[in-house]
Amino acid sequence: MRRRIVFLVLLGTFIGLAIWITGIGKLGIYSTFTGQDLLRETGVHLKYVGLGELIAIVVGVSLGVVVSRPWAQRTRLSTVVVGAAGMGQCIPSMALIALMAPILGFGLWAVVVALFVYGLLPILRNTYAGFRSIDPAIIEAAQGMGMSRGQIVRRIELPLARPVIMAGIRTSTVVNVGTAALAVLVGGAGLGRIILTGVLSRQPLITLQGAAPTAALAIVLDFLLDALEDRLTPKGLKVKKSQA
Amino acid sequence: MIRLEEVTKVYPDGTEAVRGVTLQVAKGEFCVLLGPSGCGKTTTLKMINRLIPLSSGRITVDGVDIYKVDPNDLRRGIGYAIQEIGLFPHMTVGENIATVPRLLRWPKERIRRRVEELLELVGLVPPEEFSKKYPAELSGGQRQRVGVARALGADPPILLMDEPFGAIDPITRERLQDEFLRIQAEIKKTIVFVTHDINEAVKLGDRIALMREGRLVQYATPAELLAHPKDGFVRDFVGADRTLKALRLLRVREVMEEKPPTVEASKPLAEARERLERLGVNFLPVVDREGRFLGWLNRTNLRPEGRVAEVMTPYSVLATPDTPLNEALSLMFESAVGNLAVVDGEGRLRGLLTFRRLHEVLRESYREEGQG
Ligand SMILES: Nc1ncnc2c1ncn2[C@@H]1O[C@H](COP(=O)(O)OP(=O)(O)O)[C@@H](O)[C@H]1O
Ligand SMILES: [Mg+2]
Repeated sequence: MRRRIVFLVLLGTFIGLAIWITGIGKLGIYSTFTGQDLLRETGVHLKYVGLGELIAIVVGVSLGVVVSRPWAQRTRLSTVVVGAAGMGQCIPSMALIALMAPILGFGLWAVVVALFVYGLLPILRNTYAGFRSIDPAIIEAAQGMGMSRGQIVRRIELPLARPVIMAGIRTSTVVNVGTAALAVLVGGAGLGRIILTGVLSRQPLITLQGAAPTAALAIVLDFLLDALEDRLTPKGLKVKKSQA
Repeated sequence: MIRLEEVTKVYPDGTEAVRGVTLQVAKGEFCVLLGPSGCGKTTTLKMINRLIPLSSGRITVDGVDIYKVDPNDLRRGIGYAIQEIGLFPHMTVGENIATVPRLLRWPKERIRRRVEELLELVGLVPPEEFSKKYPAELSGGQRQRVGVARALGADPPILLMDEPFGAIDPITRERLQDEFLRIQAEIKKTIVFVTHDINEAVKLGDRIALMREGRLVQYATPAELLAHPKDGFVRDFVGADRTLKALRLLRVREVMEEKPPTVEASKPLAEARERLERLGVNFLPVVDREGRFLGWLNRTNLRPEGRVAEVMTPYSVLATPDTPLNEALSLMFESAVGNLAVVDGEGRLRGLLTFRRLHEVLRESYREEGQG
């Protein structure tokens, strides 16, 4: 309940700010962005985050499944892969996006790939952790009853690891809403463009006009993914032990 | 039928877990792998469903080499239950039990009926209620029952069980063992059952395979194993209270005195006194006209006048012909007169168990031991 109130207050504040600034119109020689501009840039921003996350989820979960296989743990492949993904996150996000541009050209793909690299680690790490936390007796029982490897992954391991994987996706998404604001550095658009305009024109209100919706977006996505995480948690993992 | 021929397992780290084990389990037979921790029981068991690959030797099931069939097909035909149970926590009890039938693509309706049947078999009633619960909502004993039901899911002819009752409290364990014996009498599976508990082995097994350091030391019926342990190791493992363990293998019917002298409740006490003196005993069992046991007539309670019914001591404990001797022995200690009356289902007196008779039986088993 308290969480819900905090959520509504924060969201209301940021949306209110954005609406108020949009309503001001003129700021000296500058004018604030219109509501239409705001919606368009929010849409673009969402597209960046969505595409980057989509690839990060597909790659992160698949890699997570692979590195949690017993042979990968024996051969230390898991350590290497999870370590490498960690390196991706060590590069400052600004540098990462800037480095992508010469490779992938300025525009959409440089942004999406940078967001993918940046969002991969939490998903990969959580998938790996989620799989490893499964009681080995459960896997042994499944094997002993004649489930194939694929069936064990799909019917047993993925559902059991799902809450942890979802938590990774949530972290990754929220972080990337912020990172996506840097898209403007490599010729992209999104809410970062409004923020940068404010910075260059030394108009803090315009900066705020871009920052407030960015924050609101992060809050909304966090809330939605949290609800989704709860929905996707198998019922059997939520029931309380009711009798001795 | 399961056959192990010179089966050996050497783990990659060089541990020789199983060394040249040859053993045969006939159809419908309950074989217990018994031995101290680390002797290779689990390894042996898991080689039968190929969870662990053999290093050398051969295992056949109904004459077919297990390496000639697909491992998943093999496992779907062999029930498997382990101490940790490994229930799928995100699935209901019903879904857990339906695991193998679903893998075998049984029709929905058949699966539903099978799940209900199995829940009833393992005593989780009403089945409609338990079927919808999640493992987290069950007690340890109930979970273990679900584990057994799941192993029986697609009615496999063979069951492999690794200490399935090991992690539960002693009272629940005894009850599950009793129930499992009843189930086995009904379903007649070929079972390989791992335990390190000699009492469990003796209670459940038709045959016991005693293992030590990866080798099969003795493969015999429980009675043989207890009466004629093959070497010092078996004798030590079987334990010092072997006589008591042997007692649980014997039933009251095998040692009771049949058709003991009795006295009818309606008889005058004078007649009863005469009978006691003629037989030279201090107690007589009292019966009614139909031969049903009522209690004991004690010589010290005799009076000059009256009838037997007026002075008789009603009984407090009873045995049936099927009571194991170890239980009968503890009942005897509770009995007011030291002897134990044995009655049938209708309450009719069938015999008497006396300390003298029990002593004779024990002496016989000691003598046999001396020769063996
Ligand atoms: N995966 C393994 N790798 C190496 N040694 C093992 C492995 N599993 C079991 N062992 C060893 O093999 C021996 C037999 O183990 P196990 O079959 O589990 O015995 P039990 O079930 O009778 O307690 C033990 O010495 C154990 O330490
Ligand atoms: Mg074991």
